[in-house]
Parts: sequence; C-alpha cells; structure tokens
Amino acid sequence: MGLDYKFVLWNKHKKTYDKFIALGMVLYLILFFVLTLVTNAELTVETIIIRAFGSLAIIVLHIILIIGPLTRLNPKYLPILYNRRHLGVSMFLAALVHGLFSIINFHTLGDKNPIVSIFTSNMDYGSLHNFPFQVLGFFALLILFVMASTSHDFFLKNLSPKIWKQLHMLVYLAYALVILHVFLGAFQQETSLFTIGILILGFLMISGLHVIAAFKEGKIDSAKGELDSNGWLKVCYTDEIEESRAKIFTVKNERVAIFKNEDKLSAIHNVCKHQGGPLGEGKIVDGCITCPWHGYQYLPHNGQSPPPFTEKVNTYELKVLEGIVYINPDAMAEGTEVAPIVC
Amino acid sequence: MELIINVFLIVLGLYFGLGLIFGLYFVFIGGTKLDSFLKDSKKIVRLLLFPGVIATWPFLLRKLLNTEQDDS
Ligand code: HEM
Ligand code: FES
Repeated sequence: MGLDYKFVLWNKHKKTYDKFIALGMVLYLILFFVLTLVTNAELTVETIIIRAFGSLAIIVLHIILIIGPLTRLNPKYLPILYNRRHLGVSMFLAALVHGLFSIINFHTLGDKNPIVSIFTSNMDYGSLHNFPFQVLGFFALLILFVMASTSHDFFLKNLSPKIWKQLHMLVYLAYALVILHVFLGAFQQETSLFTIGILILGFLMISGLHVIAAFKEGKIDSAKGELDSNGWLKVCYTDEIEESRAKIFTVKNERVAIFKNEDKLSAIHNVCKHQGGPLGEGKIVDGCITCPWHGYQYLPHNGQSPPPFTEKVNTYELKVLEGIVYINPDAMAEGTEVAPIVC
Repeated sequence: MELIINVFLIVLGLYFGLGLIFGLYFVFIGGTKLDSFLKDSKKIVRLLLFPGVIATWPFLLRKLLNTEQDDS
C-alpha cells in the first residue's frame, strides 16, 4: 500500500524466494539437458530446448495451482503464496521460450507468416490423433501473457480487483489447454512417458487438493449459530479467541473476523481490500489487523487503514453476555467506527 | 476454416496493434491522469507496465475516458 509503485515489491524474503525459483529452474534445465543427451543423443539442441522449457513451464504451472488450496488447508504455506506472482511470471517466460523455439523451428521456414502457419500448417481440426495441438499451446500462451503482464499491483487497482481476479481465473483455462496440448501432441511426437505420467499425477493432485480445500471451507460456511431475541447471532465463547488473533464466522453469507486486541473484541469483514486475503487469518501487529497475504493493515475499531492509506472494510457490532459473544448480522458501512467490546 | 482463421488472426493483430499505439500514449502521458501514484514512481515501472497495457487496453481506455469526463 505504498504511495508510489515499485518496479517489483522486493524485500529480503522475496529475494530469497526469487533466488530459490531461479536456481531451481536452472538446475532443472541443466538436469534435463544432461539426461536427454545421455539417453537420447540423436535429438537436436532445438528439440531439447523446446522440451526442456515446455516441461519446466508445466511443472511450475502445477506448483502455482497447488499453492492456493494448500494454504487454505495449512497456513504454514502462506509465504509461498506471497510469491506466487513471481512464480507466474517465471512460468510465462519459460513457456515463451518453448513457444518461440517451436515457432522458429517449425514455422519460419515457409513463406507464410509464422503465426498463420501455426494455425494452417496442419488443418486436421476434426481429427483426434492428428489435431493441430500447437494451436492449443498458442492460446494457452496468450492467456499466460495477459496474466503475467498484468500481475503488477497497478493493474489490480486500475482494472478493478474484480476484472483482475476474473482475468487471473483464466489460469484454469490455460491449464486445460496445456493438458490437451501435451496429450494431443503425444500422439504425434514421441512425448516421453515421464511427461505424461507427471501430467496425470499432477491432475489428480490439483483436483484432489481443490476438492479437499472446498470441503473444508464448506464446513466453516455451514456452521450456524443461534439467534437471540434481537436477531443477534451467538458465535462463540470469549476465551475461544486468542489475544491478537481472530476467529472467522459466516454471517449472512459473509465471512466476518472477530479479533481480540488487548482483551477487547472487534469484528470486521474478513476480506482484504487488496486481493481478498483472509484478514481473520492474520494477526494484530502494532494495534493494526494485518493481512496475512501482503500486509495491508486495518484498525480494529473502524476497519480503516491507518492514514495516509484509504482502504476501508465493513465493521460489525458485537456484544458479550455471560462470556458468550453475539454479533449483529447486519454489517455497518465500510469504515464505520464501532467501540471495541470488553470481554 | 481458412477464412475463420484469417479473420480471427486479423482481429487479434488489430487488437494488439491498437494496444501498442494506446500503450505508447498511456505509459508516456495518459497513465498519470488515471493514477497519480504513477507520477511519483520510477520511470522503469512504466516499462514494466507496457505489455500489460497492450493486453488490457480497452479496460484502461474506458477508465481513462470516465475519469476525464468526471474532471470536466
Ligand atoms: C505458441 C505456443 C506453443 C507452441 C507453438 C508449442 C509447440 C509445441 C511443440 C511443437 C511440441 C512438441 C515438441 C516435441 O516433443 O518435439 C510441444 C510440446 C509441449 N509443450 Fe508446447 N507449444 C506452445 C505453448 C506451450 C505452453 C504455453 C506450454 C505450457 C505452459 C507448453 C507445454 C508443452 C509441453 C509440456 C510439451 C511436451 C514436451 C515433451 O515432449 O516432453 N507448450 N509444444
Ligand atoms: S490481500 Fe494483499 S494484503 Fe491483503
């Protein structure tokens, strides 16, 4: 939430992660080259480059898709989530190298425009085993380009978080296209069993984790409390909430985080204004509720970011009777002051 | 089929061509009207934003036109 944009939001942790990513990718490429040269010496360098970068891109894509549900199952993985954007851009660059080398290798020798050639060199669109699979790769690369190029916070703010999120949900479409690209390509190229095996395992893992995470969240969502005579919802005992931490509840289909700060309770909407991070999974740091994803801060008593920042979230009224916390299910307007309740 | 492919690729090319022109305007002039943060940011940030502006220019153009209407 700076007042200017940085080239890249780097801090010490992120630099360490980025070095880790870069090192991992380089090591993978070296290993791929050595192993391929040993096992299949007659391949050309171009083919090895195409395969090395293509498989690298799809492995990183798997990691990216697994991070989301993994952090929902276990907050321990949150630090990786902060770095997901850098991972995304790295994946796009690897896919770009793969795509460019494929285009140079297969589509620049004729007199047609290389992009037209991707679409027209094989017109067997009706066939399954001879489908022009490179077209699918082209569309996937296009989506990855849009996502990577708009990953900066500038676009999150100026495209509006809703459109940005919709654009970035396209990653699932890209994933589907890449899977088809590789499977349909496998009928025509001698794609290794290793690659196919990784894809099948990866698909099972990604879909499995998404289902488990959705199931777990569904459980939180369906936890229903009792209403008192004023229509306030009974949510928990005061001692169930740890100091400087929150518990998350669903009130009228909205997630609400109830925080304890110096033995007083405050409730705010659980969704961070930055990218929808779960505020209730964060801590109170220096008197401010601090989003666990990228550190946006909000004051517990009014849901406003401390000046000069201007973000605001909804607040909720609470009351405590005999050690039981009740919440008024009707949200207050964003940034409304609500005095914290002594437990 | 050839026809569909050709039309599609021409539309795609036009989209990115217009995006390129809008992108040049946006990173040098228009962007700061939309977002005052950009004025105080380093110039290299604008270079980084350039590809994304090309990719999403209709959204940014719409927003730019709306803010200009509000100003006048
Ligand atoms: C313009 C876009 C693309 C083109 C022209 C293209 C072209 C190709 C070609 C020609 C092959 C067969 C290579 C061979 O085995 O000799 C291939 C395989 C492959 N591609 Fe792409 N591709 C594109 C985009 C992508 C993207 C975006 C991804 C992933 C993120 C991807 C991942 C793969 C993978 C994993 C393989 C299998 C590699 C192997 O055989 O081990 N491709 N692609
Ligand atoms: S989602 Fe980024 S700080 Fe909350």
